[in-house]
Amino acid sequence: MRGQGYKENDDIYTLVEKIKEGDREAFMTVTQLYQKKVYMLAYSYFQNTEDAMDIVQETFLRLYQKVNLFKRGKNFQNWLLQIAKNLCIDHYRKNYKRNKEWGWKEDIDEAHLIDYKELDCHRSKDLKLIASLCIKKLPDRQRMVFLMKHYNNLHYREIAQIMNIALGTVKSLHFKAAQNLRVLMSPYLEGGKNEGM
Amino acid sequence: MRGCKKFKKQMVAFLSGELPEDNQEQFITHIEKCIQCRNELVQLRNVMNRADILNEDVDEAMASVDWDALPAQIADFVFKKEPSLQRKASAGDIFKVIFQAKFRPVYAGVLLGLLLGSVITFMVLRVPHIKEMRGREFFASGDFLDRVDLEMARRDTLDYLDKSQYLLLDFVQSPPERLSEYWQKDFASSQAKDLLSKKKYMNHQLEKFQMAKAKKICDQIEFLFYELTQISEELSVEELEKIRNFIENRRILLKIKLVKRELEESEV
Repeated sequence: MRGQGYKENDDIYTLVEKIKEGDREAFMTVTQLYQKKVYMLAYSYFQNTEDAMDIVQETFLRLYQKVNLFKRGKNFQNWLLQIAKNLCIDHYRKNYKRNKEWGWKEDIDEAHLIDYKELDCHRSKDLKLIASLCIKKLPDRQRMVFLMKHYNNLHYREIAQIMNIALGTVKSLHFKAAQNLRVLMSPYLEGGKNEGM
Repeated sequence: MRGCKKFKKQMVAFLSGELPEDNQEQFITHIEKCIQCRNELVQLRNVMNRADILNEDVDEAMASVDWDALPAQIADFVFKKEPSLQRKASAGDIFKVIFQAKFRPVYAGVLLGLLLGSVITFMVLRVPHIKEMRGREFFASGDFLDRVDLEMARRDTLDYLDKSQYLLLDFVQSPPERLSEYWQKDFASSQAKDLLSKKKYMNHQLEKFQMAKAKKICDQIEFLFYELTQISEELSVEELEKIRNFIENRRILLKIKLVKRELEESEV
């Protein structure tokens, strides 16, 4: 499927120009190239497949709608992930923030009250739950930087471009996210000490 | 320990492999010496390692997607939802074609031409205005022209009255038997005719400037001259005497004198 009708060395700018002309094959090639990166960002943000797939679909729709705004010389991947990041935030605000829902049945506070003593950080399943609950509790920008760094393996410079913030701000947000996670996860990692952020 | 705060801020970057090489040696040296920072670094590494466990989740989720089929599904969705992009693009293309870089010198030239044209037009339209301004050295207002007309009418009337006075005076002072001979001389009759024609021209001026007294006396003089130009040899002495009496009775010469003085005093 990948590269149907296209040479391997067709650079992204050529593909973008073809998409601007309404070329379906070029669009599919670009989708093939970047779908996993977009999915990883969306999945790490929402922690569920349905929302992640919605974001992937919407991201490529938005790419098609706004492709004329993309200028040669820009980093296409960062531009696309910027679209995805904005859609994640919008989707979250639209579907979760108002309804106070977050996809998971368990809220972190409920986890504290109900079963944190029973959670075993050495059990992989529990550790995943702890990690996702704690990441969920991070402020928006810290969470986004942390997710991009750890699950999308992006460099600080790329994160800065995607989030449209300074490099120093990215470093600072990552540091604060890690510090806050340490505090949030400490009750589970240190045998039930409930320290709070 | 000194500098702990600075190195604590670098811990996350160090663990993520984002600490610049220049700072790494200094950072490692500090961590080796500072137990507190070393412990904190270990804790942070544990937290980040445990958070990384979610990567397994991401990997599982990634494995559950059919990546080969997804582009076609997305393309179907997108092209079904946005079939009009081609049209939008063509509209954008027209704009691009119009404003493409190679035409910029042309547009610059057109713009420059318009600018120059505007300046030249402005200058051309401005020239008559300058001429008009210069011409204002000879400008005379309507009021001034009225005053000039009035003065000319006054002078014409004075001249008319002057000449009439002399003619009538000659007529009055001539002996009755020579009156007929006097008016038949070319000089007197032609002068009277001239004055009659001049009166026709003056009528308009006298009416225009409402010189009622002057007009009245001028009308009487006109009547007299009209009569006198009709004099012929057959005219009897009595008839001539009658005319002279008319002049004397009506005190025409005195009236002429008074009107003249009045006109002379009312010099504009």
